[in-house]
Amino acid sequence: MRKFFVVLLGLVLLAGVFAVPQQVKLVIWADDTRAPVVREVGADFQAKTGIAVEVVEIAFADLRGQFITAAPTGQGPDILIGAHDWTGELAANGLLEPFDPTLGGKAGDFNPVGLEGFSYGGNLYGMPYGTENIALLYNKDLVPTPPKTWCELLEIARALTDPAAGRYGYIVQNPDPYHWFPMLSAAGGYIFGKNPDGSLNYCDIGLANEGAIYGATVFDKMIEEGLLPAGVNWDTMTGLWTSGNAGMVISGPWLLGMTRTAGINYGVAPIPDMCCCICACVYDLPCPPIPPIPQIPPIPPIWPPKPFAGVQGFMVSAFSANKTLAFDFLLNYVATKDTMLALYRRDPRPPAYLPALNDPEVQGNPNIAAFGEQAQLAIPMPNIPQMGSVWSAWSDAQDLIANQQAEPAVALQEAVAKIKEALGCPLP
Amino acid sequence: MIWTALLSTGLKIVLLGILDAISVWAAVSLGTSGSYSFLAGLVIGVIIINYLALSTKAYPFRYLFPGLVFLGAMVVYPIGYTVYISLTNLQTGNFLTKAQVIAQLDGRYYLPPDYESFRFWAYRNDQGALRVILIAGDGRAFISEGDRLKSVDLDEPQFERSPGGIVERFDGYRRISGPELYQNLSLLERLNLQYGDYTVRLANLNEFRSYRKQYQYFPGEDKLVDIQTGKVYYSKEGYFTAEDGTRIEPGFRVNIGLRNFISVLTSPTIRKDFTRVFTWTILWSLFTVLFSFAVGLGFAMLLNDPYIRARFLYRSLLIIPYTMPAFISALVWAGMFNTDLGVINRILGNLFGLKINWLNDPFWAKVTLIFINVWLTYPYMMIVSLGALQSIPVELFEAARVDGARGWQQFWKITMPLLLVSVAPLLIGSFAFTFNNFTIIWLVTAGRPAVLGAATPAGATDILISWTYRLAFEGAQGNQLGLASAVSIIIFIIIAAISAVNFRFTKALEEVSQGV
Amino acid sequence: MYSRHSWFGLLWRHLLIWLGIAYALFPAIWVLSASFNPTNTLVGQKLIPARLTLEHYRTLFSDPTAPFPTWLANTVKVAGVTAVITVLLCALGAYAFSRFRFRGRRSGLLMLLLVQMFPQMLAMVAIYLLLLELGKYFPWLGLNTHLGLIFVYLGGAMGFNTWFMKGYFDTIPRSLEESAMVDGATPFQAFWRIILPLARPILAVILIIQFITSYGEYILASILLKGVDRYTLAVGLRFFIQEAYNRRWGTFAAASIMGAIVIVLIFLPLQRLIISGLTRGAVKE
Repeated sequence: MRKFFVVLLGLVLLAGVFAVPQQVKLVIWADDTRAPVVREVGADFQAKTGIAVEVVEIAFADLRGQFITAAPTGQGPDILIGAHDWTGELAANGLLEPFDPTLGGKAGDFNPVGLEGFSYGGNLYGMPYGTENIALLYNKDLVPTPPKTWCELLEIARALTDPAAGRYGYIVQNPDPYHWFPMLSAAGGYIFGKNPDGSLNYCDIGLANEGAIYGATVFDKMIEEGLLPAGVNWDTMTGLWTSGNAGMVISGPWLLGMTRTAGINYGVAPIPDMCCCICACVYDLPCPPIPPIPQIPPIPPIWPPKPFAGVQGFMVSAFSANKTLAFDFLLNYVATKDTMLALYRRDPRPPAYLPALNDPEVQGNPNIAAFGEQAQLAIPMPNIPQMGSVWSAWSDAQDLIANQQAEPAVALQEAVAKIKEALGCPLP
Repeated sequence: MIWTALLSTGLKIVLLGILDAISVWAAVSLGTSGSYSFLAGLVIGVIIINYLALSTKAYPFRYLFPGLVFLGAMVVYPIGYTVYISLTNLQTGNFLTKAQVIAQLDGRYYLPPDYESFRFWAYRNDQGALRVILIAGDGRAFISEGDRLKSVDLDEPQFERSPGGIVERFDGYRRISGPELYQNLSLLERLNLQYGDYTVRLANLNEFRSYRKQYQYFPGEDKLVDIQTGKVYYSKEGYFTAEDGTRIEPGFRVNIGLRNFISVLTSPTIRKDFTRVFTWTILWSLFTVLFSFAVGLGFAMLLNDPYIRARFLYRSLLIIPYTMPAFISALVWAGMFNTDLGVINRILGNLFGLKINWLNDPFWAKVTLIFINVWLTYPYMMIVSLGALQSIPVELFEAARVDGARGWQQFWKITMPLLLVSVAPLLIGSFAFTFNNFTIIWLVTAGRPAVLGAATPAGATDILISWTYRLAFEGAQGNQLGLASAVSIIIFIIIAAISAVNFRFTKALEEVSQGV
Repeated sequence: MYSRHSWFGLLWRHLLIWLGIAYALFPAIWVLSASFNPTNTLVGQKLIPARLTLEHYRTLFSDPTAPFPTWLANTVKVAGVTAVITVLLCALGAYAFSRFRFRGRRSGLLMLLLVQMFPQMLAMVAIYLLLLELGKYFPWLGLNTHLGLIFVYLGGAMGFNTWFMKGYFDTIPRSLEESAMVDGATPFQAFWRIILPLARPILAVILIIQFITSYGEYILASILLKGVDRYTLAVGLRFFIQEAYNRRWGTFAAASIMGAIVIVLIFLPLQRLIISGLTRGAVKE
């Protein structure tokens, strides 16, 4: 036993070689979707500059947490690929390096929604490369023409839904406020209002205003009527959809790959408009008032749903020792039409880089066009750290409504009160 | 005999001597490299080893020491770290240390409207020192000297210029370009060249620009001054804060004493939900352990029976739940229990016309969770029981049979007490593990269904640890790690108290085994 | 303990076991079904998918960006080494607690139990920082090394296992060692030559439990290991389902099945060790 100790300690000490200085290299953390493209660009960068680019693949779900742990110790990457809604948390923690707001003169080539998504506290913290939003996907074998209004959607759903046969006309993930938001936003619900300077005012929460309650009530009635199964998560949703047992779903471009593999004859259309007068006939709901300052003026009584816009992009660590190299790599090697198209081919979502978006290859893709039509109405998902408490209380409210345990108004008002308390906002 | 004893003592002393010699050498090198925490660890470690090896009184600890080293490093140290964090305000916005934040703010520059931009050439001498020559838009030339920037006339003779006018060499410095320039960029970007009120810095690959420094930190008064506006910020509660309350982001972590504990223990909203969550947590752990042990032991008894054929096959099939990643099986179960679409309701509907609201009803959601967790846990109990059953001497059963005890009587009088000698601590451990088993709750219900009127985000199936997670990570402005640590310490105190009570029974069990 | 059963006794025992096997395999069969389903859904509506494919299994062995065989080898290495060392360390500790009476014994046992109950919410950050520091001086033990990961696992494995083994040692009669020590054996020799062979079942149990625990551990491995070639199976598997909306459940399921098969194969021979204890005398056929 003693011998074991001695040998062990000796080995420990002898191997205690002090680290040798290393060649400069750029380290990039990316998930496996983006990694191959970035690796190729990295090879090009190395050929031109002699600087090696090391791409470390990390599961997308773990990227943010691991970055937060590793970055302050100097073990993090120089560049990180992630979603715009991480910006607030990472920047508030002092982990991100701001970009030159002109993006080296290329800012005009980027979708403004993408740039807004990565802005926080007056700084730009990311270079966007792709945007995404949800729309209505329909199975053409079951739904030949997509509904234009929510009223038509209800009629189609009534005709198709047969729980005994496991078939539904319309399904959506729930509780999942991300997919629920279009229903609430249509008639005027919103998450955070804005301060005069354009930044988000997290104490102005529009999730329990009349417009939001209206949308939530329609959702409630659909469940009550049996048109919408409660407790559908991603896995059950895809199970129904890919087996051809769902007529319509609200989802994003990420569902398309699976849809094609399953051989579903599908189409993409904008999410149907909420139309209070027709729906009022259906569910006897009073019409909500027209929102005072709507972001997109609706033509009453039609309320177009506004989904969230999500943005994916590249961020630079505040603890990088090679920031100039990192920015050079991003602005001159990634922000090019070729690279942006390569990223698009790997994962088809609308490029945030306009020269790539306007390329015939992208424009010719009918799905991109359809999702793009919906994107006109999309609102960037708030990127401030306060969103954490919103998601939690909000999905609880949706759960209560879906389980028929609370009236929509009660559930939403309780959620807003909970959010305000958590955020330290003045309560009425 | 004497010879071997002498030899072993001699060998011991020689080995210890070698160990101590190596340690002294290592201590010196650690000390000179300034890593005092490791130095302390090494010294303490070596002293303990010497003591253990030489003292006969410490003999039992020679057996314990190897395990304790690992336990200390990987279990006790993280506990200490959690205690430390619980005393800080570590959260989103107060994440870095103060030194890191000062370094970051002190290095913050802004581009004034009248900024100038410069082309640059970079130079290196044989000692590896770097210098740059900057050319302004109007042709004025500057050269770096230390951290200053000075005007220079490039027509002076020491500058060797190429036909294109580029300065190639001067004073032993040689121009670097191409890959060599790239290799030195990270050094160039650290240059802060003072020129009047401006700081000239590398802006990108092609140019330097004249920036202005934004903040100046004064360590003596622990204050930060905005050079542009003259506004003074004092370090207060983890932020540099001005008189009027404006704060500079990012903030930093500071020690806030017991404030996290106080805010948890005195929060009226937390107190309101505590009893409900705590009760369910206890029931969840208790039923999981009880049922999984019952099922596991049952199978172990059946499969320990030499008269059951094919028991090797059976055992292998029955441990399958243990061999699959819980991540996938928990989600598969959750899918099967889906009220509208799950296969379980489909079977129940076809057979009995039943439709149970498995995961959306508070009661059934709890039942489902325990059912799934028993499935995940019983193979562990089965393997453990299988091993423990081997410790029961057969003669006892034969004696019991002579006394007329049979079947159940044998089981309760002999099997169970003897089995518990080794298994009881594992049951206590399993209880504690289930108590803190965040993963399963999160995968199957995520704490849902929601409860109307809950003061905090506490769903019907949230256990203490998942509730903590929601409080700390979804309850406010981002992540509150300090608060989460405080709550985990409180949870630890609760579970430790429960376990310590249970622990008293193990003394009785030890005596059972003495009687064997 | 056991005697020959009547045909009825045999019948209900087998029925009970088959019921248990149905319970055990029910979800596993859905996982198997998912692994043959080309659509990558986890919870299919039918047990037998409309189309069957071997694509997912092929991916496992042919996709260079997701080197499943390497992950499997890494995992078996890490889990195997961890399990063997754990058994040795626990046996040493358990022997001391079982056979010696020393000051601090009871409180030591209690502490051993309690420290394991600490909610490890922040442990990964602490361990990350520890390995980071260690790695500065001993690179082969730092972040992104399998040895570092093994060290971490060893720390976490001590408490309950030592307890369990101690309980088992308690049931081994002391007379056996005492007679050996009369013959001049040191306590360590008695432990090595007499206790360990007698405790074979429990050693095997802890070996398999520790093996499976390390085999499936995800959180620590994912934060310590960077780079696809270093991954253990649990970390690698998550790669297939990392994106919230693009989960390759089919490949994940196929890999889970393969991983489970490896454990079952390892368990098969170990079973014999578990059953080879003192009760062997009981079998009188």
